[in-house]
Amino acid sequence: MSSPKRMHPIAALLNILQHLKELFIPILLLLFFGNRGESEGMLYLIAVGVGLVLFLVSGFLSWYRFTYRVEENELRIEHGLLVRKKRYIPFERIQSLDVSEGILQRPFGLVKVKVETAAGSGNGEAEAVLTAIKKAEANAIHDLIVSAKRGSNPNEVEAIPDESVIYKMTMPDLLLLASTSGGVGVILSANLAIVFQFEEFIPYERVFQEMEQFISNGIMFISIVVFLGFFFVWLLAVIGTMLKYANFTLRKVEDDFIITRGLFEKRQFTIPLKRIQAIRISENIVRQPLGMATVYVESAGGSSSNEESSKVLFLPIIKRHNITQLLEPYLEDYEWNSKLSPAPPQALVRYLIRGALVSLPVIVVMVYLFQIWGLLSLGLLAVTSLWAYLQFKAAGWSLEQNMVTLRYRLIIKNTVYMRKNNVQSLSVKQSLFQKKKRLATVEAVVKSGQGGSGGKVLDLHEKDIAIIYNWYSRENSTVKME
Amino acid sequence: MFPEPQTRISQRALVVWRISGSISTLFVFLIGGGFITLGILFNWPLMIMVAIGIFMLVYGWLAVFFLPMMRWKRWRYEVREQEIELQRGVFIIKRTLIPMVRVQHVDTQQGPLLRKYGLSTVMISTAATVHEIPALEGVEAERLRQSISRLARVADEDV
Repeated sequence: MSSPKRMHPIAALLNILQHLKELFIPILLLLFFGNRGESEGMLYLIAVGVGLVLFLVSGFLSWYRFTYRVEENELRIEHGLLVRKKRYIPFERIQSLDVSEGILQRPFGLVKVKVETAAGSGNGEAEAVLTAIKKAEANAIHDLIVSAKRGSNPNEVEAIPDESVIYKMTMPDLLLLASTSGGVGVILSANLAIVFQFEEFIPYERVFQEMEQFISNGIMFISIVVFLGFFFVWLLAVIGTMLKYANFTLRKVEDDFIITRGLFEKRQFTIPLKRIQAIRISENIVRQPLGMATVYVESAGGSSSNEESSKVLFLPIIKRHNITQLLEPYLEDYEWNSKLSPAPPQALVRYLIRGALVSLPVIVVMVYLFQIWGLLSLGLLAVTSLWAYLQFKAAGWSLEQNMVTLRYRLIIKNTVYMRKNNVQSLSVKQSLFQKKKRLATVEAVVKSGQGGSGGKVLDLHEKDIAIIYNWYSRENSTVKME
Repeated sequence: MFPEPQTRISQRALVVWRISGSISTLFVFLIGGGFITLGILFNWPLMIMVAIGIFMLVYGWLAVFFLPMMRWKRWRYEVREQEIELQRGVFIIKRTLIPMVRVQHVDTQQGPLLRKYGLSTVMISTAATVHEIPALEGVEAERLRQSISRLARVADEDV
């Protein structure tokens, strides 16, 4: 294990493809705008050809130069064409190994291994990626790291890790997940748009009597085409989601959560329990009536470039009332059953006004353009009012000894469970209007990936906000309620 | 809502804010003046020109007098043994608590205008957020920076 090793040659190909992907737009631009005259055409082609060859050679050489080895409990990587770079990562620093199998890796029994360290702050550089190595090799490295972390000799007989499967996606779940994802929103709004469009054009039919038939037919036709277009997009989204989340399994192995998923491209994520900063339960507009929800965990660290390592899909789709029972045994620090208090009644007016602020300008423009027919757009006011009402109903909070729960809705209803120790800062806000109604806004921020995330609830009662603020304050002596 | 934090930021901040407000007002007046000139040349309706004029005056009053004053009046902070508390805002008052255990590092920063008046901005970073206390007197900022990093270091690490 200690002699320097190269990755499988397929890694060279993968690197080249990766770079090509990044250069795709510049190349396209060159092809379209670079080519001027006939005589220059040849020269241009040669230049592109030379460029491509250089590209291939450098891809190959950088693969050739890239070696890794395991020495003295460190993963040692050396690479670089002109500038030789060495990166030694001590095993204790390694937070997780993410193993994935791409389409190109699979036929050769290879895997891609991503090494994530706690540092990694700011730049995605800090982690190491082994693009294509043998599965057995990856397992060997993994075992070495695990045993090194435990401080024991790798040769000792290892205890069987305590492992339990928390959740396994079934086919009906997968179908439900795919068909109720964001794509549905697109298709619903497309339908709405068609209805509205149809109404907006009614005055035209009046004005141009003779064209009536044609226009309404035309609109029907366009509407159908648009509808089919959206339907097609949605179908693609469904298939994409199904491929991505097929075989989704969530396991707990000792102190880590391990997620595996994917049909063609298998991926594996490791989330150490320690790095979990918050639990987020999201109920989108389609899933909520079905009593279904999605659970995410906000996880600290991870590389900035990797969105997936900050907000991790934990349980893709699950009955809302099963979540507690399922997660309680594994996330013991969280209190799942605390009762949320709602926003006070006087907040409803503010929620309604905010909703109206979205729709009123549209209505004014519509009335101005279509006079009396524009009033049909008042329907929009009904929609935003309903939306505002749902937001008002969603607003809520609860406190436990060491935990705060905030619930709010933008479009999706979110319930965020945060431990006091994970909350990085807590803010309360009060505008002059809020003050009159004795309302205020609270926001708690937790670390998520390299940035922040958390929860923000608008227009809770001042008194409740003070309770939350006091709870978070380490020195209550100075903060008294009015 | 509850008692305000006690420490104010330097009074000289007011001067600095008024100066930078004046600079932005100058630009607004240049652009507005340009429009009014155009209006005179091309006979725009008087209403438009009056509106531009009013806008410029209101902007100037807000940027140079009203906002800096309100901002300064509202800006309070308190550095306690275990936490930092900030209060700021003009129309919307925002209060923030940052526990010392969550502070990752503290920076001070000084633009040319601030330097001229011997002021600095202190930036307090947690793992997820950055908070700023603007325009503290140089010595005060440095003292604050040191005391925060000293207090923060005592804290245990469990992000």
